[in-house]
Amino acid sequence: MVSRNDYAVTFSVKDEDHTLANPVRFMLNKNPHVSFTGYSITHPAEKVVNFRIQTTGEMTSVDAFRQSLNGVTDVCKHIKAQLAAECTSFQASAGTSMEA
Amino acid sequence: MSSRAAPKRTPQVSVRKIEPDFCEFVLSDTDPSVANALRRVMLSEVPTLAIDLVEIEVNTTVLNDEFIAHRLGLIPLVSQRVWDFTGAYDTNDDDENALMDIVFQMDVKCTGDDTLDVTSNDLQLDPSFPDIHPVAYSTGPQDAQAEKGVLLVKLRKGQHLKLKAIARKGIGKDHAKWQPVATVAFQYMPDIRINHALMDTLSEEQKLQWIQSSPNPVFRLNPVTAQVEVVDAEAYRYDGEVIAKAKALGKEGLVNITPRQDMFIFRVEGTGAMATQQIVVAAIDVLLRKLDTLQQSLASADAAMDMDGL
Repeated sequence: MVSRNDYAVTFSVKDEDHTLANPVRFMLNKNPHVSFTGYSITHPAEKVVNFRIQTTGEMTSVDAFRQSLNGVTDVCKHIKAQLAAECTSFQASAGTSMEA
Repeated sequence: MSSRAAPKRTPQVSVRKIEPDFCEFVLSDTDPSVANALRRVMLSEVPTLAIDLVEIEVNTTVLNDEFIAHRLGLIPLVSQRVWDFTGAYDTNDDDENALMDIVFQMDVKCTGDDTLDVTSNDLQLDPSFPDIHPVAYSTGPQDAQAEKGVLLVKLRKGQHLKLKAIARKGIGKDHAKWQPVATVAFQYMPDIRINHALMDTLSEEQKLQWIQSSPNPVFRLNPVTAQVEVVDAEAYRYDGEVIAKAKALGKEGLVNITPRQDMFIFRVEGTGAMATQQIVVAAIDVLLRKLDTLQQSLASADAAMDMDGL
């Protein structure tokens, strides 16, 4: 974490890439208290993502970051639950059609 | 990106097809970044088992040692138990009991006059892990009905291959042999809007010409109303043929096609290492673990900052 004040922080995330950074940035962009966010991978051989989060002042950058992580976690959990339910009902209907 | 609409946190999933090596589902009400994260994790971060280390004792075949080792590595292994294992490159806390290696043996010699096929069926399983085996594995007599296994090398009379192969857990990021999928891709659902006012200025023959300009059947002419309709939006391959045809007919703007940014058709093709729906679930679990790790390290970094009085 590199910071001069709580509302404009650059986070250095190790061992991550676009896989995680892109959805997190998407979530941050949806946050009305975030005035700017972006990430950059300075070199493809270095596994570091630099994440910049500036807020309007109602919320610290750390909180915004935390909130966006929670947001993506919620999305993942929701997809997982949906998928499990769908697979079960799909297999149930496939089973009945085979019997018929 | 500039839209500040409430984030879509409740994506919908609808499953279309589940087969052992293939599954197709539609993910909607979410963002391309989420769909892409899921795709990327399935490709390169869902762990499987694959042969990683080969000790060759005798090799008098026509293929060199490295070539055979590479071919062995690419054989998909049934990886249902992958979660019990620790990867060789994982930073573990030196757990003495961590399961790491699965040891296969192979000893094949050709004695007959005919060429002998050495396949994945010639691998002798590790007695400690009888449930870990190559895909389509069978050891019975090799009749036409039985699964043939994956061909490794062919032997002539007198040629001999003897080796020990060690399988380990790994991820696709380290080597493609650990990828659980042959391919995984998502397609943006096209949003097709026909300009009916402009369409009505075309003659019926021109309409048919225009419909036929699409390489895949996307549109049809309704015989009753003589209107052009979309029959299968998904069949559109973003080839731009119908747009070019509209231009050629002097009717630019006849149809407007945009990829929807909130609906994705996923197609997952497995290698046999894991059931395809299992791969998807595992991918979500990997993503969740990543988020959890980041959440924790953010908390500890935040605490450290507070201590420094920054």
